[in-house]
Amino acid sequence: MTKLLAPLFLVAAALLPLVLKDPYLLNALIITGIFTICAMSLNLLLGFTGQLSLGHVAFFGIGAYVSALTALGFDVGLPFGLRVTYEGGDPIVGFLLAIVITGLTGFLIGRLSFRVRGAYFVIVTISFAEVVRLVALNWVELTQGPLALTSIPNMTLPLPGLGELTLRSKVENYYLVLVVAALSYLVVGGLVASRFGRAMRGLKENESLALSLGINATRTLTIAATISAAMAGAAGSLYAHYIRIIDPDVFLFSYTVTMVIMVVAGGKGTLAGPLVGGLIFGLLPVALRPVMAPEAQWIVYGAILIAILFVMPKGIVPALETLTRRKAPKAAPGKPLEAGARP
Amino acid sequence: MDQFLQHIVNASVLGGTYALLGIGLTLIFGIMNVVNFTHGAIYTFGAYAMYLAAVALGLNFFVALPVAVVAGLIMGAIIEFALLRPLRRSDIDTTMLVMIGTGIILQSGTLWIFGGVAKAVPTPFPTEPLVIGPVSLSYVRLFVFFAALALIVLTYFTINGTKLGRAMRATFQDHDTAALMGVNVSLIYTATFAIGSALAAAAGALLGPVYVVFPQMGDLAAVKAFAIVILGGLGSISGATIGGFILAFAEEIGAGYISSGYRDAMGFLIIIAVLLVKPTGLFARAERIG
Amino acid sequence: MQMTRRTTLAAMAFALMCSTAFAADDTIKIGVNEPLTGAFAASGTYVTNGAKIAADEINAKGGVLGKKIELVIEDNKSNPTEAAAVAEKLITSDKVPVMMGAWGSSLTLATMPKLEEYSVPMLVETSSSGKITTQGNPYVFRIAPPSAVEAEAFGPIAAKLGIKKVDFLVINNDWGRGAAADFSKLLKSKGVEVGLMETMDQSSQDMSAQLAKLKASDADTIMITAAVDQLTLLFKQMAALGLKKRIITTGGSQNPDQIVAQAGATANGTMHLVTFAPWWPEKSPNPQAAEYFINEWKKRGYDFAGTTESFRGYDGIRTIAAAIQAGGATDPASIVKGFWKVDLKGLNGPIKFEKAGPAGKESGQSKPEVYLIEISEGKISPVKL
Repeated sequence: MTKLLAPLFLVAAALLPLVLKDPYLLNALIITGIFTICAMSLNLLLGFTGQLSLGHVAFFGIGAYVSALTALGFDVGLPFGLRVTYEGGDPIVGFLLAIVITGLTGFLIGRLSFRVRGAYFVIVTISFAEVVRLVALNWVELTQGPLALTSIPNMTLPLPGLGELTLRSKVENYYLVLVVAALSYLVVGGLVASRFGRAMRGLKENESLALSLGINATRTLTIAATISAAMAGAAGSLYAHYIRIIDPDVFLFSYTVTMVIMVVAGGKGTLAGPLVGGLIFGLLPVALRPVMAPEAQWIVYGAILIAILFVMPKGIVPALETLTRRKAPKAAPGKPLEAGARP
Repeated sequence: MDQFLQHIVNASVLGGTYALLGIGLTLIFGIMNVVNFTHGAIYTFGAYAMYLAAVALGLNFFVALPVAVVAGLIMGAIIEFALLRPLRRSDIDTTMLVMIGTGIILQSGTLWIFGGVAKAVPTPFPTEPLVIGPVSLSYVRLFVFFAALALIVLTYFTINGTKLGRAMRATFQDHDTAALMGVNVSLIYTATFAIGSALAAAAGALLGPVYVVFPQMGDLAAVKAFAIVILGGLGSISGATIGGFILAFAEEIGAGYISSGYRDAMGFLIIIAVLLVKPTGLFARAERIG
Repeated sequence: MQMTRRTTLAAMAFALMCSTAFAADDTIKIGVNEPLTGAFAASGTYVTNGAKIAADEINAKGGVLGKKIELVIEDNKSNPTEAAAVAEKLITSDKVPVMMGAWGSSLTLATMPKLEEYSVPMLVETSSSGKITTQGNPYVFRIAPPSAVEAEAFGPIAAKLGIKKVDFLVINNDWGRGAAADFSKLLKSKGVEVGLMETMDQSSQDMSAQLAKLKASDADTIMITAAVDQLTLLFKQMAALGLKKRIITTGGSQNPDQIVAQAGATANGTMHLVTFAPWWPEKSPNPQAAEYFINEWKKRGYDFAGTTESFRGYDGIRTIAAAIQAGGATDPASIVKGFWKVDLKGLNGPIKFEKAGPAGKESGQSKPEVYLIEISEGKISPVKL
């Protein structure tokens, strides 16, 4: 039954635009989808390896800037009188570059920051994101700083033999985000089910035991960080070409907070958790908007977050699994982690 | 040279309040292993408590100050009792998110009640600065500096010289053993959170009159407090004190001689540098937490 | 937990219902996209309150084209992503044919692709970034002066003040950096020397490092672009450092009354370039409207200091009403045409849109008047030149 849930969900999501014509709700779903991709990638670190990264927005933002600058071009002076001028090119190249560059950044940051654990790791990652934001704000020649990068073109897909398809409409962008989200889900699912996934979980459960079994902690964590960063970078690229303007606000700490909320409230270390959390906390502001004053919306948002964590400290998905297992005692017993880990 | 002297004086005065902010957080962080995202909101709360006491109730400045600190103490005790105590067995992410939720509620509540327009708290000090040679300094900042130092000394004494402090230190080392030795760990946690919050509120109440009071004032303060804590190492009061001064000097010198746009980046760059060289902070014991 | 989920679902269902609610025929909806929470909550709330006064006044006089106007006010949370989402909601769910917004430049820029997507015009009441009217977006009509216009108006004043060398201290965003660029260009062309360019983060509270540097410089004037809260802090910190130079602030978000109330004596001697002078409504370009607006503002119990910000909301809605009237119909295309015909006496000068930006896709820009005022002994007075 649970095996069927993911494909069913995908089919339902794919059919949704046929029923849902409201562009505002489609817009909300696209943004929610983009942040859900971020949440899935964060889950790889936070959920499966247990490393609480609070700098995830840095990769999202770097992805957005790389992709936007690739499409728009730039002309920037470097030290020693060097000058780099680039005309600008296809958004799809930007998308791929965003993945590669954020992946590399994730690798480097992983190498540096996995020397520490726990609270120290939390702070290093916050610091990293903040430094990147300040660079984006102050390196005006490249990023236009606070003046924002505007007129970013929509995503263009090359179709073999048919020319190019520019994704202008909501529905097209919706499907693009859906495809990337489904791919991300498969990547995370595949990783988790592999030997590498067992190594990650081993590190999370008991690091010293895992080390004694010959698991290379830094290597495992760094690979997870690299993949996680690359996925967030892809989401950032989607965001840039959809919203079509970015400024250093893409590095807002509150975006990281949104991602963490999606993962933890949904159920960290489960495949479905970030999806469920993403949908709820992505659409909650939309649902609250018409019914109460702006300040009250935030208060209710905070209260719902606290309530979920109090009632279901492990998150919504594990709690639901426990519930269904209690109702159907014949189902094979197992840790929620493994039950949810099947793609 | 004159400009340099002025930078040094500015940084020293700023460092005192940074230290105060950092100490409150480091206590909670170190003893309870809670990433306290309400710290900034409590700082704001202290500033508004000061505003209410001094402006709405019309209390004397020097009476309003302890009122605000006590308000922070009570607020901290309530948050610990209602939200953290039931989650004692949860992991660091869960408590952190609950703290984030609480912070959102506190900040939005402040905005709802007081509106977004900044409030000023009048001080009894003269506006003309104290001028010594090339350096000038306002009296209110001088007062804030010494008040912060007094609070730091008081906290240090509480931790190192009282029965409560001994129990807190025992809990920091190993809370299971402390519990076996007859320490009421729950009470210690409540006390720790209340004291940490009182210090944040004190920082807000002291700086509110220097700056202005508005709902988002805690955001930047919280980020800086985290930086200070990591510089000094978790749970170390003297570390947080020195960390506060290092951060203030780095910002001041960085903004004065490198680039003012990167002023707020200095702290983070230092953190990254420190953690690369000595991952557990400059002054921490050699244990690894987490 | 069951409860929470059920309530969430109910709320979502409610949201869906609201989004499909039909537009009543007897009212004209005007979208208002402003920051009501987050960093710019104070200013966004002021502008929204000004807009409400205009809407009530227009409706009391019988509305526009025989219909009442209705403001649909949404909070963009001081966040560009939200600002774009709000524009989308206002246009597609609430079916507004015209909007006002979105206070900050990055917020406004984020909404602009939506205007093109749906061909709905927006009146820009506060944002000053040059990029807003130079992008070739024909749905943008701005009544706030971009910093280039403000700088131009300052040209003759600079000569009379006898400024020799000027330093800048600006907020590190498009607003501050744009102002510094435009003012230094203008001042250089007038033979004034330009010295330091210091920036501060918009959330910074301690600027003593920048000020110490400015104190040591040999410039005679410091030009500052920042919002009122940071200005208050700056004046206090300048006094603490004993920094005594000519101070001129720009940007139109200064709220001089709030400065007087909060910075006290430390604000004495400072000069401010403002676009609306509510202290002398009788001398304003439209005394009758200015007096009405100020009285109404006081009657509703709002803080007088907010008028220098909120008049934009008032003028903005009146401009939109005039555009609907001039266009003769309530569809977006007619309102766009109507905007080009607007000729209104605003609170800070005539509102009339001139073409700006690439040919064929011009945006509209109105050029308001600019005044230089001075605070002395806690009183606000015009600078005598």
